[in-house]
Amino acid sequence: MADDSSTSHRRDPIKSSVGNVAAQRRRQNAVTVGKERRESLVRAKRLCRVGATGDGDVPVEENDMITDEAGFLLDTQTSSAVEELKSAVAYQGKGAMQKRVNTLRQLRRLLSKSEFPPVEAALKAGAIPLLVQCLSFGSPDEQLLEAAWCLTNIAAGKPEETKALMPALPLLIAHLGEKSSLPVAEQCAWALGNVAGEGEELRNVLLSQGALPPLARMMLPNKGSTVRTAAWALSNLIKGPDPKAATELIKVDGVLDAILRHLRKVDEELATEVAWVVVYLSALSNFATGVLVKSDVLQLLVERLATSNSLQLLIPNENKLMQRKCTLIVVLRSLGNLVAADSHTISTVLVPGHEITDGVIKVLVKCLKSDHRVLKKEASWVLSNIAAGSIEHKQLIYSSEAVPLLLRLLSTAPFDIRKEVAYVLGNLCVAPTAGEGKPNLIEEHLASLVQRGCLSGFIDLVRSADIEAARLGLQFTELVLRGVPNGDGPKLVEQEDGIDAMEIYQFHENEDLRNMANGLVDKYFGEDYGIDE
Amino acid sequence: MAMEITQFLLAAQSADAKVRTEAETNLRQFQEQNMPLFLLSLSVELSNDEKPVESRRLAGIVLKNSLDAKDAIRKEQLVQQWMAINVSIKSQIKDFLLKTLGSSVPEARHTSAQVIAKIASIEVPRKQWPELIGSLLNNMTQQDKPAALKQATLETLGYVCEEISHQDLVQDEVNAVLTAVVQGMNLADHGPEVRLAATKALYNALEFAQTNFENEMERNYIMKVVCDTAMSKEVEIRQAAFECLVAIASAYYEVLEPYMQTLFQLTSNVVKSDEETVALQAIEFWSSICDEEIELQEFESPESGDSGPPHSCFIEKALSSLVPLLLETLLKQEEDQDQDDTIWNISMAGGTCLGLVARTVGDAIVPLVMPFVESNIVKPDWHCREAATYAFGSILEGPSVEKLSPLVQAGLEFLLNAMKDGNNQVKDTTAWTLSRIFELLHSPANGFSVISPENLERVLAVLLESIKDAPNVAEKVCGAIYYLAQGYEEAGPSSSLLSPYLTEIISCLITTADRTDGGDSKLRSSAYETLNEVVRCSNIAETSSIIAQLLPVIMSKLGQTMDIQIVSSDDREKQGDLQASLCGVLQVIIQKFSSTDETKPIILQAANQIMLLFLKVFGCRSSTVHEEAMLAIGALAYATGSQFEKYMPEFYKYLEMGLQNFEEYQVCGITVGVVGDICRSLDDKILPYCDGIMGLLLKDLASSELHRSVKPPIFSCFGDIALAIGEHFEKYVPYALPMMQGAAEICAKMETSDEEMVDYGNQLRRSIFEAYSGILQGFKTVKPEVMVPYAQHLLKFIELVSRDSERDESVTKAAVAVMGDLADALGSNIKLMLKESAFYDEFLGECLQSDDEQLKETAGWTQGMIQRVMVL
Repeated sequence: MADDSSTSHRRDPIKSSVGNVAAQRRRQNAVTVGKERRESLVRAKRLCRVGATGDGDVPVEENDMITDEAGFLLDTQTSSAVEELKSAVAYQGKGAMQKRVNTLRQLRRLLSKSEFPPVEAALKAGAIPLLVQCLSFGSPDEQLLEAAWCLTNIAAGKPEETKALMPALPLLIAHLGEKSSLPVAEQCAWALGNVAGEGEELRNVLLSQGALPPLARMMLPNKGSTVRTAAWALSNLIKGPDPKAATELIKVDGVLDAILRHLRKVDEELATEVAWVVVYLSALSNFATGVLVKSDVLQLLVERLATSNSLQLLIPNENKLMQRKCTLIVVLRSLGNLVAADSHTISTVLVPGHEITDGVIKVLVKCLKSDHRVLKKEASWVLSNIAAGSIEHKQLIYSSEAVPLLLRLLSTAPFDIRKEVAYVLGNLCVAPTAGEGKPNLIEEHLASLVQRGCLSGFIDLVRSADIEAARLGLQFTELVLRGVPNGDGPKLVEQEDGIDAMEIYQFHENEDLRNMANGLVDKYFGEDYGIDE
Repeated sequence: MAMEITQFLLAAQSADAKVRTEAETNLRQFQEQNMPLFLLSLSVELSNDEKPVESRRLAGIVLKNSLDAKDAIRKEQLVQQWMAINVSIKSQIKDFLLKTLGSSVPEARHTSAQVIAKIASIEVPRKQWPELIGSLLNNMTQQDKPAALKQATLETLGYVCEEISHQDLVQDEVNAVLTAVVQGMNLADHGPEVRLAATKALYNALEFAQTNFENEMERNYIMKVVCDTAMSKEVEIRQAAFECLVAIASAYYEVLEPYMQTLFQLTSNVVKSDEETVALQAIEFWSSICDEEIELQEFESPESGDSGPPHSCFIEKALSSLVPLLLETLLKQEEDQDQDDTIWNISMAGGTCLGLVARTVGDAIVPLVMPFVESNIVKPDWHCREAATYAFGSILEGPSVEKLSPLVQAGLEFLLNAMKDGNNQVKDTTAWTLSRIFELLHSPANGFSVISPENLERVLAVLLESIKDAPNVAEKVCGAIYYLAQGYEEAGPSSSLLSPYLTEIISCLITTADRTDGGDSKLRSSAYETLNEVVRCSNIAETSSIIAQLLPVIMSKLGQTMDIQIVSSDDREKQGDLQASLCGVLQVIIQKFSSTDETKPIILQAANQIMLLFLKVFGCRSSTVHEEAMLAIGALAYATGSQFEKYMPEFYKYLEMGLQNFEEYQVCGITVGVVGDICRSLDDKILPYCDGIMGLLLKDLASSELHRSVKPPIFSCFGDIALAIGEHFEKYVPYALPMMQGAAEICAKMETSDEEMVDYGNQLRRSIFEAYSGILQGFKTVKPEVMVPYAQHLLKFIELVSRDSERDESVTKAAVAVMGDLADALGSNIKLMLKESAFYDEFLGECLQSDDEQLKETAGWTQGMIQRVMVL
């Protein structure tokens, strides 16, 4: 041996004592225990996601919980479905059409399967060009339908996924035409509705590609589901902010009639979608509002609100990708838009004494009584618009059932509703003004409302961080200081801790509010009022 | 040209430390400034007969150490360093070395032979020294060359053969080397020095002679020469020749048949009457034959007819002559034999061989041994009684339980009585035999035991009485208690049998451990280790209160060790040994108690005090840490979980010390393991200490001083740390990953002929995989991208390992798992890489076919992970 150890063969004797071996064994054992613990720890980390044992054929069960693993399987299946579609599209032999339809249907089912459809996987696998190919003219309806359906579901994905539909838009629009079968057109409308819902950029693309007229024409027939889909797609398409599309839509021949016709129908869902169109028309386009106000729309909306016997307004659209939840809000919003958009509406249509006007007030009261926060808020908003009208309008509301409800809301409702309510009440106390300057008081309304305890509600608003609400509070405080009979105003304001509330503004960053508050304190409570305290 | 360095080499051996240090500094500077010239100067020094022996000796040692190191990484560096040297300088060095073989100074020749072999180990496999064998043989073939040169040349040939693999030489060269060596053994032509050198060279060259042993004529010739040499008149040459025969027994078992008659005669004569050194080798020959046959039997498939190597049943055939021959040796005890594990004499070797024969032939040995036992065990001469007992104890492994049980049942009472024999050695061997009986024939868990619940009391009474006997006897009694307790481990209802005696056993063992008549610490250590086994194997539900009482006893003993007065380094060593034993007991108690929820609170309650003690134990030494205390702290960390955090500020410096302990590499290794334990207990609470720990671990890896066995655990520890701290491992990636890649490359180049290296390679590969697994799993959810740049290298490494047929099952498991971790953590990032690596399918397929359930499960998981990546 090269290392100078001349000890020759020598084995351990059979007769040995236990000490050394045992210590060795014990230390070894201690080290092994550590290794075992390491192994079990890593094993636990690895196997915490069981199920990936490679069986790709396991069907995804109808399971509420979309686990990672199921999502993974879905992705896998989707990629392979797209691969199959690729070969089906390339295949020209016998049964080619059926093959394409079958593979499309398979893909569509996968894309409809879960709450989180495997859109990303489909796009990665190159689904769009294949689907566009399947939309080509002359293709059988079944194929068009499935392809459009796939695109619909893809368009329902994330923004960038929706954008991936760009190459498919011209054909989808083309298939809206009268020559297409209704189911195909409807499916295409649906897809386009999803695209339009994504944002302004895509809306502009669709408008420039001429999506609006064929969609508008789809509203004309009486076929419920088609109209509903078209109305929904249209409401997405005209969302603006550019009013041009809304104006264009109302100008399409027969659209106004169709709107009126569909609003008369009992079909709640249909009415909802149509009402949405009205909402956007009235919100965006003065032209459209003018046209609508002159029609029976207002009447129809009031009727719908009045006849809706329950105010259970949540009517979810099951199994639809449309995100509409409720009818009444939409109708109410339409009404509000129409009332607010044009003071002319109020003075000429909602004339006090007319049946329609009483009707409107009645449905609004009904809404104020509902349990639904949004309805209360929307109704207050409509009322505030009406209360901004003529003396007669103010008197009409003042003497209606609405005031006690409003007074209660002012002290108990959530802030956003209180603010709307304050507008209504405030408007009730001031007379319409012709020019600039301080509004004239309607002393009777003011005195009565203050006496019924509304001041504390307004003082609360003064304390609000919301500038608009605070201004409203201050304005009303000014009315009280100035207008409550017998000069009781300052005393009332002081009782409600109004001075404290206004002193917050002594050094407020908002100059307008600061001046207003300081001015009121100076004027009604003397220069040194605050310092003496 | 070479520099004159004699003065430095002499000064470096000076008794004056100052002179020595200065000289060492000078030499180191020279080495660092110009390595080639430094080596050349050393070789010049070594070759020059005018120079003093002392400077030449050191020159040779430094040269040798510049070419080889025990540590694989360091060795690789040295190899690279040598290969980088200019060819003409290397060739000058080699010429000087070859020239030195003819030196008149034996020591210079010897050193030169060693250095040549080291260079050969680098250059021959790379075909860079083709003329070496030729020039060595040239020394042998020329008649007029001096005997000294021939002796040195043969020595060199032997060393070269030891260093290289037989595949590095072409058959012609092998033939020429063997011819030269065998001719060197020729009595007629050479003096004893040359013949001895030749015989020793043959020992190393035997591995090269495979082809020659296949050829009957050549084989006959070699065997004849070896057998002739085994009868030389010089003892040393006879011993060397028998060593060759031992090696032949292992390497060429399958062709030995025709020579066995002769070999039996030869060995038989030697065992009976030759010098002990030769007789020991003759016995070793038979032990080696047993080794071969036992191995054949172990690997033999139940359905015979397999095309494995033939079993020649040499032992069975020689049994009736061999056993009496061996029994004869048992009677040759030394009069005042040291009762020490290191004792090795003819009776010890004979008994050991007898034990191997029993394992080889099983039941057949019993009738051949029992008459010897029965007739001798009652004789008045203690030699006879001791030999009889030893013979009986030796054959307890091998024969069937059915065959042995009646004999042991019948003899047990006799043996128990023999514990009162008048002779110390008889009692020693009797106690050892009892421990063998309990080790081999007492297994209630497996349904058999020579101890019935009825005679357990008697057995224990004898053992607990005899443990008071002389230290050597008491030590063997500890062994008996150790195996007695072990038998009851997890033995169902039987595990309760020892419980009633536990208190008494523990107290006797502690008394034994406290004995001071042992002279050294062996008895104490045996007593404590036995105590450990008794605790470890006890039925915890029944004995937890007893062990709970033991805990404060041991703690207080450990506390008392701090008060031992330390005057000499001897005192310090004694204190350390005692602390080692006590920490060992605490480790076992902690481990035992933390295994059940009922008993864990006992440890948690005492944890503060225990930890305080461990810290005090550490405090007893200034620069090293206590291995056993470290090990026990690992157990405590597991028991306390995240609570361990509070001990970290105090403990950390000892952790550092342990990680820096290069010399006591076991300590370093254990500390590395403890880091892992702490990682698992603290999770990310270990973060504040990670910079320090990682820094030291990286230093350890880079160190050439540190024993290689610590390096695999360090890689595994990287995995532990990464698992604990997750994405915070990122900052260590630029340091740790290159180390892992470097180690992987070393694995790839590792020698596969050396079994020990193969084993080490397996450990290293497994640990590298474990490191990757931990890091990948740690980054998985948060920062997998960090590992993307390292994926390719890892995949290549896995591929390489998957193609290695020598790989260990544990390596396979780790490789498959890390492949899954890679896919799991990096996902689509490695899709392309996987697509380009075709190997994994086959590899996974192989693993999925395995009988090992865990491997199959892991492979299935990995397959799932990869599929998931491939479809993304």
